[in-house]
Amino acid sequence: MNRRKFIGIGAGVVATALVLPSQLSAVDFRKKDAKAFADKDIKSALKDLYGTDATIKGGVSISAPDIAENGAVVPITVSTDKANVKSIAVFIEGNPEALAAVFNVPATSIPKYALRVKMRKTGHIVVVANVDGKLYTNKKLVKVTIGGCGG
Amino acid sequence: MRAIAKLKNGITTVRAMAHHPMLSYLVAKKKHKKAKFITHLTAKYNGQLVYDLYSTQFLSKNPYIQFAFKGGKKGDKIVFYWIDNTGESKTSSAKIR
Repeated sequence: MNRRKFIGIGAGVVATALVLPSQLSAVDFRKKDAKAFADKDIKSALKDLYGTDATIKGGVSISAPDIAENGAVVPITVSTDKANVKSIAVFIEGNPEALAAVFNVPATSIPKYALRVKMRKTGHIVVVANVDGKLYTNKKLVKVTIGGCGG
Repeated sequence: MRAIAKLKNGITTVRAMAHHPMLSYLVAKKKHKKAKFITHLTAKYNGQLVYDLYSTQFLSKNPYIQFAFKGGKKGDKIVFYWIDNTGESKTSSAKIR
């Protein structure tokens, strides 16, 4: 089955399942921006997610290993010290789809998140923070010895 | 969802791990299975969202997450919820220590 259609169906399933009022969040990215999750390159994913790919360098940081022995488990931490962060998006260069994760940042949340991601090959991890409409970005090159997308 | 939530100086820090295969499309195809990965993972304290992640097949298996929020009281509960692309969902909770 065409992967784009499959993702569309997946998004549809998630959309119906998310109708419970107690689970409604500020922005439901999968409903609003299903396309962004299907984009292969970072520029398109950024445009589909935030409407623009114009970014300001800095203001957000990534901590990630210089060399990842196992591409299936790459521990990263993304953070920003800016106030009024609406969301933080993580993109991975070289993965079949560019967008790996999007965080909505609720009011009391401290915008510093650690997670473990899969990287198919050596490339940059790009993080973008939406601070009141302005997009701050940073990137870190991670060398991957064994690819982690199953390839 | 296994989680440890600690309160210190008015900030609650949470380290948690969801039990989930996070099977990507590529690997699922090779194993003749359906891709299965968490698409939305949240944590709530006092009914308010303190963590709201939209994830993809690119999170590692048994996703480990760490986050912090202002507030929290010892003994209070944090409620976790995740749902995946197949529609399966799970709710669990952890007490703040």
